[in-house]
Amino acid sequence: MSELMNRPARVIDGASRVLGGLLVTAAVAFLLLPAALVLVLSFGTGNRVQFPPQGWGLDRYTEIFSSGNWGAPTLLSFEIAFYTAVGALAVGLPLVFALKRSLLPGRQFLEGLAFAPIVIPISAYAVGMYAVFSQLDLIGTKHGIVIAHIAHALPMVVIVLSTSLEQIKPELELAAMTMGASRSRAWTGITFRLLAPAVLSAFLFGFISSFDEAVFITFLGGAGLITLPKYIFDSVQYAVDPAITAMATLLMLGVTFLMLLGTALRKDKK
Amino acid sequence: MTTQVPVRSSARPASAGRRAWTPHVGTIPALLLVLPLALVALLFIVYPLVRLTLDAFTQGDGGLSNFAAVFQSRAILNSLLNTIGMSLVVTALCLVLGGSLAWAVARASRPAVKALLWTSILVPFWMGVVVKSYAWAVIFANNGILNSTLQNLGLTGEPLSLLYTRFAVIVGMTYTMLPYAVLAMYPTMSGFNAELLNSARIMGSSRTGAMVKVWLPLVRPGIIAAGAIVFAISIGFYITPVLLGGAQTPFMATIIGDDIFAFFNYPRAAASSVLLLTFALVVLGTAMRFVGAKALKGGLRA
Repeated sequence: MSELMNRPARVIDGASRVLGGLLVTAAVAFLLLPAALVLVLSFGTGNRVQFPPQGWGLDRYTEIFSSGNWGAPTLLSFEIAFYTAVGALAVGLPLVFALKRSLLPGRQFLEGLAFAPIVIPISAYAVGMYAVFSQLDLIGTKHGIVIAHIAHALPMVVIVLSTSLEQIKPELELAAMTMGASRSRAWTGITFRLLAPAVLSAFLFGFISSFDEAVFITFLGGAGLITLPKYIFDSVQYAVDPAITAMATLLMLGVTFLMLLGTALRKDKK
Repeated sequence: MTTQVPVRSSARPASAGRRAWTPHVGTIPALLLVLPLALVALLFIVYPLVRLTLDAFTQGDGGLSNFAAVFQSRAILNSLLNTIGMSLVVTALCLVLGGSLAWAVARASRPAVKALLWTSILVPFWMGVVVKSYAWAVIFANNGILNSTLQNLGLTGEPLSLLYTRFAVIVGMTYTMLPYAVLAMYPTMSGFNAELLNSARIMGSSRTGAMVKVWLPLVRPGIIAAGAIVFAISIGFYITPVLLGGAQTPFMATIIGDDIFAFFNYPRAAASSVLLLTFALVVLGTAMRFVGAKALKGGLRA
C-alpha cells in the first residue's frame, strides 16, 4: 500500500512516527526520573542534598529512626489512615450493593455523588469543610480529619468495589437462592467471599489515600494535628532536610508494595 | 403405601408471599444500604458546598460584596488568571504526553514494553503529593540536581533560578496529573479498533492522515473527558504551588488559605472558592454535554 502513497505523505508519516516515539520516551523519562532520583539520593551522605552525593551510606535512614521527630507524625498518619479505610468501606461497601443489586431510582446520581470529591477542586472543598467543621467543632480533631479523609477516599474505594462487584454474576446468588438460601445467606456465602479480595484492595486504596493526603490536614488539622505529609510539607517549606529523601523512599516503597498487593488481589479474582 | 415427604417447617406454602427471583433487593433494604453514603454525602459533600456558596453571598456585607472584594483585589485577580492559565497549560501537556502514553500502552504488544509503560505511569501515584513536590524541589533548587549538572557540563555559569517559578509549578503539577490523564484516556484508546487504521490506509490514506481523520474523531470523547477532569482537579491544587511556586505567582488555593488563616477574611475566601468551584463545574458540565456522563465517569474509573 505504500506505493499508493506519495512522497510528502511518507515524509510526514516518518516524522510523526519519530515525534510519537520521542513523546513517549520523554514522558517515560519524566515520570521515572524524580522517583529514581529520590531513591538514589536517600543513600547519600553529607548535610546537603546534591548529586552526586558527597558519599554513600545509610546516614539518612539512621537519622530518621534516631531523631525522634518522625515517630509521632508517622503513628498519627497510620491511625488516621486505618480509621479512614474502615470508614470508607463502611460507606462504600453497602453503597455498591445498592448500586449493583437493587433497582433503586437515582442510582446514577448516588454514584456520581460518591465520585464528586475527586473532581471538586480540593481547596474549594477544604474551605467548605472548614466552615462545616467550625460549626460542628471538628477543627483540629482526629475524628474530624478521619471524616474528611473518608470523603476524600470514597471515590477510589467505590470505583474499586463497584468494578469488582460488576464482575460477580448475580446468577450465582440466584442459584443459591433456588436451593433454599435466603438472599442474605447467598450474599454472605457467595458474593462477599468472591468480593473479599476487592474489599481488601479497597481498604488499601483508602488507607493510602489518607496516608498521602495533605490539603485537608492543612485546612482542618489546626495546629496540633501533624500527620506525616503535613510534617514533610512544613519542613520542606522552610528548608530541605536531607532526611526527607529517606522518608520519601520508605513511603514510596511502602505505598508501592501496598498498591501492588491491592492490584494483585483484584486480579486474582478475575 | 405412600410415604409422606416431611415438609421442612421453613418452606412456605406457595400461596403465602411470592418469592421474587431477582438478584435485586427490595426498596427498603436498598435504602438502608445507601443510608451511610446518604449521611456522609449530605453532611460532608453536599452541605460543605452549599454552606460555602451561601456564606459567599451572606457573610460579611452579603450580596455580591464578597465577590466584589475578590475582583477589586489585584492580587487575587492575578492569582485567578494565573491559576486558570497554568491549569490550562498543565491540561494541554497532560493531554499530549498522556495521550501518547495511553496510545502507546494500548498498542504495545511486547509484555516488557507494556510493563515498563505501566510502571512509569503508576510511579507518581505511588508517591504522595508532598513527596512529588519535594523531589522536584530537589531537582530545581539553585544548588539542585539540574543546576549542578548544567554547571558541571559547562552549559551555564550562573545557576538558573528554576525553583519558585511558574515553570516549576507547571512541571510539578503535570507530573501529578499525568497518570490521571493516561488512565482517563486509556479505556477509549484500548477500545479503538486498530483495523480501522488499516482500512483507511488500504483506501489510500497516509498513516498520519488516518490518525487525524479516523483515530482522532473516535478517541475525542476520551480526550475531552480527560481534559475536563485534569483541569477541574488542577485549579484546586494547593501543595505543589506552595512548595514549587514563587510568592509572586500564588495559586488561588494559597490566596484562599491566607485569607482564612492570615487575614481572617473567611467571606472573601468563600467567594474565591465559589469561583473555583464554578469554573470546575462549568468545565465538567460542558464536557458532559459533549461526551455524556458515561464517558466522564469512565474517565474516572479506569
